[in-house]
Amino acid sequence: MVALLDEAAVMEENVALEEAAIRAASGESTAAADAPLESEGVPPEAVSQLTQPGSQGEPAVASSAPISYEQGVEAIRPPDLSVLRRFLQWLLAFFSGDLGESLGPAGGKVIDILKTRLPTTLLLLLPGTTLGLLFGLWLGKRVAWRRRSWVDWAATVGGTAFYTAFPPWLAFIMVAIFAVNLRWFPVDRLRNPLAWVGVEADFNQMLVGILQTAGVALLAYLLLWQLTRGMRWNRRRVRALVGGLILILLGLPWIVSGNGPLALDILNHLVVPMATLILLSFGETMLIMRATMAEVMDEGYVTQVKAMGYSDARVRDRHVAPVATLPVLTRFIVHLPFVIAGSFFLEHAFNLEGVGMLLVQAANQIDFPVVLGVLSLVGLGILLAHVGLDVVTAWSDPRLRVTTQSGAG
Amino acid sequence: MGRANPVPGLLNPQLAYQPGLRGWTRLRMGLIRRRLKGWQREARFFLGEPLGMLGLASIGLFALFALGQPLLMATVWQDPIYDPELGYDIQIFPHPAGPSAKHLMGTDPLGRDVLSRLVYSTRTSFGVGLSAALIGSLIATTIGVSAAYFGGKLDTILMTVADAFILLPPAVVLLIVGLIFDMSWLQLGIIFGIFAGAGSLALLVKAQALSIKSKQFVEAGRVAGGGGWRLIRTHILPNLISLLSVNMMFIVTGSVLIEALMSFLHRTDLRTSWGMMIWLALENNMSGFDLVDEWFVIVPPALAIMLFCGGFYLIGRTLDEVTNPRLRAR
Repeated sequence: MVALLDEAAVMEENVALEEAAIRAASGESTAAADAPLESEGVPPEAVSQLTQPGSQGEPAVASSAPISYEQGVEAIRPPDLSVLRRFLQWLLAFFSGDLGESLGPAGGKVIDILKTRLPTTLLLLLPGTTLGLLFGLWLGKRVAWRRRSWVDWAATVGGTAFYTAFPPWLAFIMVAIFAVNLRWFPVDRLRNPLAWVGVEADFNQMLVGILQTAGVALLAYLLLWQLTRGMRWNRRRVRALVGGLILILLGLPWIVSGNGPLALDILNHLVVPMATLILLSFGETMLIMRATMAEVMDEGYVTQVKAMGYSDARVRDRHVAPVATLPVLTRFIVHLPFVIAGSFFLEHAFNLEGVGMLLVQAANQIDFPVVLGVLSLVGLGILLAHVGLDVVTAWSDPRLRVTTQSGAG
Repeated sequence: MGRANPVPGLLNPQLAYQPGLRGWTRLRMGLIRRRLKGWQREARFFLGEPLGMLGLASIGLFALFALGQPLLMATVWQDPIYDPELGYDIQIFPHPAGPSAKHLMGTDPLGRDVLSRLVYSTRTSFGVGLSAALIGSLIATTIGVSAAYFGGKLDTILMTVADAFILLPPAVVLLIVGLIFDMSWLQLGIIFGIFAGAGSLALLVKAQALSIKSKQFVEAGRVAGGGGWRLIRTHILPNLISLLSVNMMFIVTGSVLIEALMSFLHRTDLRTSWGMMIWLALENNMSGFDLVDEWFVIVPPALAIMLFCGGFYLIGRTLDEVTNPRLRAR
């Protein structure tokens, strides 16, 4: 697959280069022909190849003296290698972090382009997916406990409707309601341009900063939660105190550097896209959670726990839901590609400058290196998610823990 | 014909019970009757589920659309203004025009009848969804069952392939294939089916087939002398049907959504589809017409996608409940 694409990319490149060579050979000086070439609808990559010397590691055909067609082709032809050789070359470059050069009009290294686009996508995708998952688990749990009631029907119909909604349409409706009619949350490229006038802070660094702060906060709170679990007395008070301290510590850099309002502005712009992503992704989790809960609820131990006199909520939250969550997580990871694709189309709908938007743009410009880079990135993300799932399952499921210990020992 | 013998003469073939033609017919009739009775029971459960009926009704409506479209074109919509691609009603101005007796769902910005386009696009969605579901479940069954049943090196190879496919989201792959050529609905369905079937669904099928393989009735079948193909055919495949039918519905949902998205981004060679209709509406909104007043341009196709996919999803969910006895209990 990849080899095929790679070959296709090279072929595409060759066609573009040959077109450029024909033009170069027909006697036009490339520098002078730059503007007319563009207006005649020649692929922009051909122009950029000629006008940017060294972009392909080959000298550009910039001499004013007319040359023959064959000479032009020879001058810019990439080395003639077999498909396998080229694939191996690409693989080698890939693992050394070189994803090639963009063929688009702006040019530049693919890895740099990805670096500028990734923070936006992560800021939308990570919290959105996680919140959608948590909301789906929570709702599925409650709905499963009250099966065959009106809550069940309403939640199922609602979840199905949101799950099958056409992403651009849902995005459009959200914008029409919250951004245009109610004017609660602005939606435009994640920033208010007026607030950024005269600010030297970098937008992408700001996004990375927000992500880092959120990650550190999450880790700190999880740690706090775990550490205070064993405390008998004053647990709530200690948690509130230390939690507040963490919040102040993390918020301090933002206040001191004066970037706080800008970060808040970004978060404010993020509300509607995030809400749309949550709406799109929670339905499936909810429906699966409901089914697994129903299966677990038939187990004998649930009846026993009920007979022991624990409250309904306690049985549901402490005894049924944790057991039912693991299969849902597995299914969720399996369906993660669809969630990622959905978020890509959301970026397109909301005009966010993320990886998904980059993919659509690159696809429209037939910019193969960038498309391949995005695809590799997506594959890497899904791979990481699978590894993470394995770790989480092994950590939280005692049955698996026992088997791994006996298996490893 | 051959083996209708219920008690094969395991010890002495001469003592085997020979049912004869009449006996064979009766045995077969009994088997069929029992199977029908099982289906009847499941059908009754299905009919008792309002959500499943909702899904069935919505799919039935769209099936009527798809089948009746040529008939409608030949009778009610004879006039060329109702052509889903080239029609233009010259008597109406300006052109996204509201619902009227002549155009039940109004006309789109290019003057074509919205209802006619909606009904015409139903066929594409059915084609994409069904081809993707068939191809996907075929591939998933082949990969999953052979990996689970034969195991060993074949298992390793097939699961490596499945893992590789899991890392490629069908939407992204289709977007890239769309670079190379504009897909027809069949190509789109087949590609989506391959990527959905060879990836996640193959893993699900393999897990299920493994758990079936370790059941005692499979062992009993092997002891009674059943070969690999017979064990797979009579014991494993029937027990996979519920899982497959549920996931087929999910593949239909996914592929129709993706088809709409691909048409929305102009990566198909279709000239009329629900995705194209939504694209046209949003595109014209950019150049300034009011979607709140002209809702009929975007709401029908979007609702159609939602109802179509939701219908298949609800049917799949209800099938899951009907065929899964643990879910049916309450």
